[in-house]
Amino acid sequence: MNVSHFQTEFDKMMNRDYFSDKVHPLRQDAFSKFLEIGLPTKKWEDWRFTNLSSISKGNFRISEIQDAPKGDLDISPYKLKDIDTIVIYNGHYQETLSSIPSGVQLLSGLDYLEKTNSEFNSPEHSPFDLLNTAFMDSGMSIVVDSNVDVEKPIRMLFISSGLESLMVTPRIHIDLGESSSVTFIEHHVGNSTSFFQNESVFVILGQNAQLNHIRIQSNSVSTANMAKIQVEQNADSRYTFFQFADGSRLGRLNIHAELKGEGADCSLNGLALSNDSQHLDNHIIMDHQVPHCTSSQNFKSVLQDHSSGVFNGRTIVREGAQKTDSNQSNKNLLLSKNALINSNPQLEIYADDVKCAHGSTTGALDKDALFYLRSRGLDMLSAKALMVRGFATELLDLVKHDGIRDFITDRFDTWLLENTTA
Amino acid sequence: MLKIENLHAGVEDKAILKGLNLSIKPGEMHAIMGRNGSGKSTLANVITGREGYNVSKGDVLFNGESILDWSPEARSLAGIFMSFQYPVVIPGVNNTYFLKAALNAKRKHAGEKGLDAAGFLKLIKEKLKNVDMDSKYLLRAVNDGFSGGEKKRNEILQMLTLEPTLAILDETDSGLDIDALKIVAEGLNNFRSADRSFLVITHYQRLLKYIDPDFVHVLIEGQIVKSGGKELAQELEEKGYSWLES
Repeated sequence: MNVSHFQTEFDKMMNRDYFSDKVHPLRQDAFSKFLEIGLPTKKWEDWRFTNLSSISKGNFRISEIQDAPKGDLDISPYKLKDIDTIVIYNGHYQETLSSIPSGVQLLSGLDYLEKTNSEFNSPEHSPFDLLNTAFMDSGMSIVVDSNVDVEKPIRMLFISSGLESLMVTPRIHIDLGESSSVTFIEHHVGNSTSFFQNESVFVILGQNAQLNHIRIQSNSVSTANMAKIQVEQNADSRYTFFQFADGSRLGRLNIHAELKGEGADCSLNGLALSNDSQHLDNHIIMDHQVPHCTSSQNFKSVLQDHSSGVFNGRTIVREGAQKTDSNQSNKNLLLSKNALINSNPQLEIYADDVKCAHGSTTGALDKDALFYLRSRGLDMLSAKALMVRGFATELLDLVKHDGIRDFITDRFDTWLLENTTA
Repeated sequence: MLKIENLHAGVEDKAILKGLNLSIKPGEMHAIMGRNGSGKSTLANVITGREGYNVSKGDVLFNGESILDWSPEARSLAGIFMSFQYPVVIPGVNNTYFLKAALNAKRKHAGEKGLDAAGFLKLIKEKLKNVDMDSKYLLRAVNDGFSGGEKKRNEILQMLTLEPTLAILDETDSGLDIDALKIVAEGLNNFRSADRSFLVITHYQRLLKYIDPDFVHVLIEGQIVKSGGKELAQELEEKGYSWLES
């Protein structure tokens, strides 16, 4: 999309009568900034290995009312037991298919911003962050009051569908009051042939609050999915994140976690499976700003065919953030000679009493281990599948909710069956 | 059962086995002794089909059939088992899951039904006793965090579970403390039967105190230079290998 194309869509957005105009100044400001800098190019350090041509050459338009489903939707393939689901189809909230969680305040992204407009300071680091603020059109915000433990996990199910090239821009705010807790699942699916989703999630955790955040990125393999998760943690809060990604042609996850209160703990984990010409990225910034915080990053990718990906992990320990305990691990398994991963773990430490570890490994399946398994009678396919499963197990086991873990494990096994070759 | 005829094999351009002949009949236990580098492990790897070994001459027959073109899994399913000198660590792969998959592959090959989880657990608990292993090892990843002795016992556990007709033990005794050695030897002895054969590869005479091989062979520079009974091992203990080297 070139600049004039973005401009046309932006004008349409600003003229929508069913969107609150109170956030217009915010949109206008972000869009002006975007126009100044444009889309990232390969000359930008953080974007060197991410090919954005599917977005820059695409011809997307914002999703209109007529892009909402005409009749009944069948969401049974995405059925998960014991959770509340909010369904969003091509950017349109589906009230009849959704079950509203109790114990939380659920607001549209715009309503949330309207309420907090005066104090909301949108941290915008990339052109896609700016585009999100300019074009936000869907998603929900969840506010949990202090001391409330939300029992049932809350899922937002995003479905992309159809032949139209749509640009959908979810905006999600999750605010957890002191000592509250919730499990939040983003689930991205669809059969769209051309689709650009540019999502931003803003998480604010009050003191001692706990968010368990699971992201299932299984959108169709002809879509582009950009995601930004901005996390702000106060004292003693715990944030646990796990992404399972096997979808989209281009999928990029950016997480920026700021540990602002002592005793905060942040655990970021991801498993990416790619084949054909998929490109899946994980870009992490873990920012330790105060003493006595702990963090971990554990990202693994399994790449088949000529798929590619990037792990870019930066752990920053600021001056004075003593007793920081942080580790970072990136492991990649290449199932094909043509697969490519760029792994770039980085540490920036400005304090002197900290414990920081990081490591990165990339390789093919271990030949000795393969022989070992085959010498016990397992055929080549079973031996390989067993080893890939072994590679992923520790991440799959992180999902504590049985229904969600079984759902993700089933998807993993299906992928394994289709992507293991002798 | 196993017949090795004039076997020449090596790695890349390096010749290691230079005309090895060996015949093992059902029920027999053969021990092969030799220094490091004499070709003992190459022999085990060629019999089990590890990649990277070239056979330039000769043949390996198992029950009358040449197996050199067979995949490692085909050899295993036919009844050949090797206890590895260096058992491989496989992170994330649960030991029970692995053993069950291996056993069921074998059962299916034999036209039997695979065991379910309960049936397998019953069987494996019985086998664990034979090697004095705690059932906690079943829950761990294959050989992950196992001590040297635990790894070797895990190999014997796999052997007892898969019930091969030809078991090759590649330096299974190396690095074992005396208690573990006794357990491994006892496992072997109890496992002997009229239709099962053993090829025990070692460079220490110590193991032979606890097992009774029918034949002892001395391997030097890729050839068996001397064969005899158990007394040959004793002789090697006293005189070393140099009197056999030309």
